[in-house]
Amino acid sequence: METDDVPLDDKAKRMRDLLSSFYAPDPSSTENAPSNPGTLDAINTTSFDADQYMNLLIQKSNLEALLQRHVEMAAEIKNIDTDLQMLVYENYNKFISATDAIKRMKTNIVGMEANMEQLLDKIMSVQSKSDGVNTSLFEKRERVEKLHRTRNLLRKVQFIYDLPARLEKCIEAEAYVDAVKFYTGAMPIFKAYGDSSFHDCKQASEEAIAVIVKNLQGKLFSDSESIQSRAEAAVLLKQLDFPVDSLQVKLLEKLEQSLGDLQLKTNDIENASMESNDPKQGKVSDSVHITAHEGSVRGFAEAISAYRVIFPESEEQLIKLVQDVVVKNFETTEQYVKGRISSANLLCVLRTIWTDVLLMDEVLSEAVLPVFSLEAAQIALKQHVASSFNYLLQDISDALLRVNVSSKEAAEEHPLQVALEASKKAVLQGSMDVLLDFRQLLDDDLQLLVQLRDFIIDWVQEGFQDFFRALYDRFLLLSGRNSSSRQDQGLTGAHGEKVLAGLVLVLAQLSVFIEQTVIPRITEEIAASFSGGGARGCENGPAFVPGVICRIFRSAGERLLHHYINMRTQKVSTLLRKRFTTPNWVKHKEPREVHMFVDLFLQELKESASEVKQILPQGLARKHRRSDSNGSTASSRSNQLRDDKMTRSNTQRARSQLLETHLAKLFKQKVEIFTKVEYTQESVVTTTVKLCLKSLQEFVRLQTFNRSGFQQIQLDIQFLRTPLKETVEDEAAVDFLLDEVIVAASERCLDPIPLEPPILDRLIQAKLAKWKEQNLISP
Amino acid sequence: MQGGSSGIGYGLKYQARCISDVKADTDHTSFLTGTLSLREENEVHLIRLSSGGTELICEGLFSHPNEIWDLASCPFDQRIFSTVFSTGSLFDIDLPFYGLKMETGLIVFFAGEGESYGAAIWQIPELYGQLNSPQLERIASLDAHTRKINCVLWWPSGRHDKLISIDDENLFLWTLDCSKKTAQVQSKQTSGMLHYLSGGAWDPHDINAVATTCESSVQFWDLRTMKKTNAVERAHIRNANYDMKNNHILVTAEDESGIHIWDLRKPKSPVKELPGHTHWTWAVTCNPEYDGLILSAGTDSSVNLWLAPTSAEEDATSESIVESPAQQAGPLLNSYSDYEDSVYGLAWSSREPWTFASLSYDGRVVVESVKPFLSRK
Repeated sequence: METDDVPLDDKAKRMRDLLSSFYAPDPSSTENAPSNPGTLDAINTTSFDADQYMNLLIQKSNLEALLQRHVEMAAEIKNIDTDLQMLVYENYNKFISATDAIKRMKTNIVGMEANMEQLLDKIMSVQSKSDGVNTSLFEKRERVEKLHRTRNLLRKVQFIYDLPARLEKCIEAEAYVDAVKFYTGAMPIFKAYGDSSFHDCKQASEEAIAVIVKNLQGKLFSDSESIQSRAEAAVLLKQLDFPVDSLQVKLLEKLEQSLGDLQLKTNDIENASMESNDPKQGKVSDSVHITAHEGSVRGFAEAISAYRVIFPESEEQLIKLVQDVVVKNFETTEQYVKGRISSANLLCVLRTIWTDVLLMDEVLSEAVLPVFSLEAAQIALKQHVASSFNYLLQDISDALLRVNVSSKEAAEEHPLQVALEASKKAVLQGSMDVLLDFRQLLDDDLQLLVQLRDFIIDWVQEGFQDFFRALYDRFLLLSGRNSSSRQDQGLTGAHGEKVLAGLVLVLAQLSVFIEQTVIPRITEEIAASFSGGGARGCENGPAFVPGVICRIFRSAGERLLHHYINMRTQKVSTLLRKRFTTPNWVKHKEPREVHMFVDLFLQELKESASEVKQILPQGLARKHRRSDSNGSTASSRSNQLRDDKMTRSNTQRARSQLLETHLAKLFKQKVEIFTKVEYTQESVVTTTVKLCLKSLQEFVRLQTFNRSGFQQIQLDIQFLRTPLKETVEDEAAVDFLLDEVIVAASERCLDPIPLEPPILDRLIQAKLAKWKEQNLISP
Repeated sequence: MQGGSSGIGYGLKYQARCISDVKADTDHTSFLTGTLSLREENEVHLIRLSSGGTELICEGLFSHPNEIWDLASCPFDQRIFSTVFSTGSLFDIDLPFYGLKMETGLIVFFAGEGESYGAAIWQIPELYGQLNSPQLERIASLDAHTRKINCVLWWPSGRHDKLISIDDENLFLWTLDCSKKTAQVQSKQTSGMLHYLSGGAWDPHDINAVATTCESSVQFWDLRTMKKTNAVERAHIRNANYDMKNNHILVTAEDESGIHIWDLRKPKSPVKELPGHTHWTWAVTCNPEYDGLILSAGTDSSVNLWLAPTSAEEDATSESIVESPAQQAGPLLNSYSDYEDSVYGLAWSSREPWTFASLSYDGRVVVESVKPFLSRK
């Protein structure tokens, strides 16, 4: 069989499979191929159905295939047959070899029993001998052990008795560590027998320990001892079950007390720095204060570090304590900042605080003091910036309000000019000072400030933005034109007194000044030293937008200028209203002289002109006009013409008069009465005059006149021509308006016959002479 | 319509101050206007906008005995209107003219006053188109006044048989009976010393509330008790007009300081301020239909169209404070400046509320449409 193995490998393998399947314990497992009676492969399964298979075969195959199948099958059957024979044969072979093996086993096992019994005997004898040895040695060993124990006990008793003496020795040698070790070692025994046998001993050692505790406490509190030894003392005290917490609290209290000292010192420094503004006080006291303060802070820092070593778990309390110090310092700083201080002073204070913080941070970095104080400093600085701007605003409005005072005194010749210059200076110089002040903050290399640099830049920019907005509001308030509580002539404004027209003019000019000079300067300055920033985030853009501010002030300037003109014209309007509503124009008497309202009117104009002259620049157009005014004779001639025409129309007394004026208007170039106001003396005065004359015309239109009334108006207006021409830029428009007034009066007259030119001339000359005389006296 | 913004013109013969929308005429957009000529025969023109909206047609021309200072059309009868007129002096006047006036019997002469003023209610005669020179029929004269009369008010919101007339010192409430042709004083109140009344407005939302303007304030009256209920302290108010759409809103025009919009529940300070005109703002009127649309006329020969909604104002106040400099130019929608003289007369058409008529002193009526500006809303 073994020889068969090699060539018949394939066959043998199949055989072994078959065999093993035959002997397999579970017959079901042999059905590894699931039966499928429906296919031709099912031939090798248990569920094989011959008929079905036949049917299937016949159905599926043609004759040739069937024949083929038949041949295959015959070969297969033959194969299987031989396999079967081989299996039987092999089976039998194995059976024979098995019987052989069993026969051999039977013969070998017979001699083993005797050997086993012999082995058992030998083991038994070994055991009995070892037992004998054991019993003989037992007694001796017991005794040795007892003796040893007694000796140990005796040694302990000896130690206890020696303890007081030993402790004394330790105290003398200040070897407290050993002493505490000894005492704690003896503690259990004292606890067990302290009341009986070792009473004296216990008492004595307790006394010694009390001394030790006292010494240790002393050591703990004494600042002269090294921190190490103090820490040791604390540890020992703790080992002795001494209430350390109360000690801790006590020590903390002590620290807090020293902290109070520190606090006071901060105030001192502020005082000192405030005093240092006085040149008399000098810097000596300042530096003395500072060094003194630094010393105390250093001491405090040391104390803290010691404390930390002594009580390692007390960090939280310490952090709180230190933060308290910083918070208090910054609180006082904030208080301090509310007052009016320069950045240098603030810097001084901040520097002191920062050195303190750094010192403390060295010993207690867990308190994150720098971060903490950074936040606090941020607030303080922000406040400083805000308050600086507040004071600047205050300064400016003070400078402006001085107009009121000074003009009441009326001692100065040009109160408005003075006020304008003062306020200009206040704005420009003030802003520059503020900027310079903040520059100091930026230039300083104090770490605290370096970190806040970006913030400071933003605050300054924002500050300017807000400042100018606030200034704008203040201007409106001062001019009485703020929208919520509005001015009006009769009404007293928000600040109780009538707004001076001059002040409004000053404000207008100041707005222009701010727009044209101050803003560019500040923009430059900011660009030079306050650029960057950006902590605000890019999407918002820079905080200071000069364009917006310029726009605000340009419009403010225009509004204020208009407001000024309005106030002036309103005054004249009231004058005119009185003039035209009081008399009975229908029963007017013949004109004897120029009415006095003309004087008042000219007076108002003069006042306005003097204000304007103080504030506004002369216009360039003026000269041009002068050369033009050579033709004033021509214009007066045209007046003559006009008068002629009027008389002619009167004779006609026809309704064609209206038509005629219409025609005249058509041929005349439409005179632009209301032109844009410029920031020149002439423009403002001219606009005022124009508005007043227009009002005059409107008032005339509301009345009905008799002949004398009309003549009175004619006289007044004719007189006005000369003085008005002297003050006014746009002669054509004023002439036109004066003509319009006369036309309006003639239209509203029942019997419009003008004064005879000679009479008119005479009256005007008389008045002119009087007026000139007055003018000579008054200026 | 041709040319959108260019207005349609109509010329009166003489100077004129007042124009009124004929509210009761629901078929046509028409206006009444009267001339102000001291020495000539004055006229009342009934003007109608042609159906195409391209032309102003004179529908009726009536002679009026005196120069007209105020004219108001009756809101419920298109043929009735009121005028305030003055006659000039009694003593300087030519006698025949004077006699003619005596004949009409309408004029009240005030002893001691140089000028005499009168107010009357007129009716346009029927078939006036067919007559050659139709005469106005006088229904009633409001002849209880002893001072210079300023204006006559009709209740703007509908049929009401009461009338208000205001002179320098007094406020009269009249009961008008058109059929009997009588007007009787129902009650009268004196404004008090030092308050020279200059005009007034009747609240369209409250039949019993009237506002009067005087030199230093706007006063509000309850017509049942004839007592003052409220006042807005404000100097030199020329004209006041109630918002037709929103209750409690009053718009005032002032000589020098522009236009103010008031919420009468908060009389302390105005809700809104508009810059007004370069010279005086003479008249102001709210659009009867479109919210916040305001017209103002000024002596700077221009008419300004404003958009200043007040209802949304409450919400926007905080915003507007911040943005105020930028928004300043916002409310002015348009400025019509093609006038030769001061504009005193101004009236919205109630039939076509996007149309208004303006009247400058030289007697020129211009009707404009604001349609191009409405779309901007």
